Amino acid sequence: MALASVAVGQIVVNFLLVGCFYAALGVGFSLVWGIMNIVNLAHGALLIVGAYVSYWLFTQVHIDPFVAIFLTMIVLFAVGWVIQYLIINRVIRGPLLVTFMLTFGLDLLITNLVQLFFTGNIRSINVPYANVAVTIGETRIPFVNVAVALVAVGLTVALAQFLTRTRTGNAILATGMDSDAARLMGISVRRTYALTFALGAALAGAAGAMLAMTLQFQPVDSGKYTLYAFVIVALGGLGTPYGALAGGFVFSLAETVAAYIPGIGVSLEIAVAFAVLVLVLILRPNGILGKAYYS
Amino acid sequence: MASEAEVRGQVVVGAPVPAPRESRGWLWSTLVGLGILALIGILAPLAGDFGVLRMWTLIVMYIVLAQGWNFIGGFVGYAAFGNVVFFGIGAYSVGIFLLNGKPFLLGVAAGFVAAGLFAFLLGLPVLRLRGHYFAIATLGIAEALGEFIAAKDIGGPGGEVSLTPPGGGLGVFTLFFYAFLGLAVLTLLGTTLLTRSRFGYALVAIRENEEAAESLGIATYWYKVGAFVLSALPTAIAGGLWAYWSLGFEPGGEGGAFDVNISVAMVLMTFLGGAGTIVGPVLGAIIIEWLDLQTTLSATQIHGPLLGLLIVLVTLFLPQGLIRLVQELVPGASGTGERLSWSAQLRRGMRRVRRFIAANGV
Repeated sequence: MALASVAVGQIVVNFLLVGCFYAALGVGFSLVWGIMNIVNLAHGALLIVGAYVSYWLFTQVHIDPFVAIFLTMIVLFAVGWVIQYLIINRVIRGPLLVTFMLTFGLDLLITNLVQLFFTGNIRSINVPYANVAVTIGETRIPFVNVAVALVAVGLTVALAQFLTRTRTGNAILATGMDSDAARLMGISVRRTYALTFALGAALAGAAGAMLAMTLQFQPVDSGKYTLYAFVIVALGGLGTPYGALAGGFVFSLAETVAAYIPGIGVSLEIAVAFAVLVLVLILRPNGILGKAYYS
Repeated sequence: MASEAEVRGQVVVGAPVPAPRESRGWLWSTLVGLGILALIGILAPLAGDFGVLRMWTLIVMYIVLAQGWNFIGGFVGYAAFGNVVFFGIGAYSVGIFLLNGKPFLLGVAAGFVAAGLFAFLLGLPVLRLRGHYFAIATLGIAEALGEFIAAKDIGGPGGEVSLTPPGGGLGVFTLFFYAFLGLAVLTLLGTTLLTRSRFGYALVAIRENEEAAESLGIATYWYKVGAFVLSALPTAIAGGLWAYWSLGFEPGGEGGAFDVNISVAMVLMTFLGGAGTIVGPVLGAIIIEWLDLQTTLSATQIHGPLLGLLIVLVTLFLPQGLIRLVQELVPGASGTGERLSWSAQLRRGMRRVRRFIAANGV
């Protein structure tokens, strides 16, 4: 093991910070999947749209990127609502492959439109306080990443509270458990689904804004992030937003550790992540925190 | 689909029940499929143009790939999203054999065996998964294998393989075209055999209701593994042929041997044509690959959005495929037995098609 030769503290910090970002990436995906039983392959595309919206807000309107996160969420909420209400509601009860293909088509459509309008250049937001950091010994903790991680965890907790504490949240959970029973109780299933997907899109947008602040992005990344979101959610398990948090940390851990194992290295981190995923799926089909409360 | 029509044809309420007549749908489907392939085989090389031949070679290759996917995705109804992995295995087997100076056909055979074995060993764990989990596990394994080949520099730095051209110009490429075509014919005949066999019935039973099939004594797990291996075999040969035909390839990325878009194309083509049917994958592959190649040439800018829009429209409005539309259009499936003029039949068929599309929510 080459672990001793590198700064363990830095690895731990990176693992925690990336894990929080991964939680933000997975939480919207987990909501849509858990409630509507739809694996939204357009999640990565929505994330990229979110990244561009916040990039645009920052460079053109000069809004602070952390404020931009919330504006981006509002924009993506609207986009998600329209997509769900007009398109996905038509096939919501269709077979798995239909929703799969439909959301994949949406992903292709959105990603390519973004590429058409914004070109395929690699971009990132140069946050004004990018160099503010706390240094403990050899370990550097950048302020931006910590703030992003806190927002990510905050959003996850807020979603969990919203689902369990409010009437609307309970309506979403009830619809996820049994949509027919929910309809009989006077819940508008169509609207609830639209709300769920809109929330999922808003969270994808927030993750996109965080991505723009901490890493570089380009339109073709959308597929990669959809895959990541799936792995994170499948690892953590469906049913609660905290599953995404757990999955985010496990995925981040697998990625971080794999990069330091001799013979595997950085270039194989996706392969390692998938190996972990397949193992978890076979050994623990409901994920680490998962409970299968929907069919 | 055909079994549905048979059942409806036999039960005519209120009329004396005619002796159940065996449906000849499979025969017609096979003949139509063979006819289409024969037409391509005659017309494509006639142009004597390299570009035209290249286009039709790719189309026929995708016919094979869609047919291969049909075995697991169409018959068993399992959302395999990583079948490109077998294509890649076939391609890299040929690549490695040729780079080491071994004969090309031996490489194809090796790819065939390797992909079959891989499908068997992979199927054992992943076919215990269902639904989305199965889909993403297969997708992930294809991605991971591509990445592994790139990281281990198999076939060249970064997994990039470049081969020496076979020489012989247009003639050799015509030979490749006919090799793909022969493979497509064999796969078509294989599909027909499958729809008529006990094995195929078992697969359809799994698709319709896996628990019920299991309770009737079908060893669903082993049938699924069998179907997975079956879908790997033609895909691997196509990959092997493609490897030598294209002369150079990378593991990942667009146009690579493990390109996820190839998996998606298989699914989309089979869907557009009609999953689980004999001619469906052939029709779907021709339409989509032709459109794809045309838009790549003439409208590169909007090629991507167009493809996305096409996928959305197909899944929204034609989730059961073109073949289903044809079945609605052609009388006989309804089995009323009355004689009508051609035009009246056509009008009635069109009405049924309109109603069918409307039912899908236009």
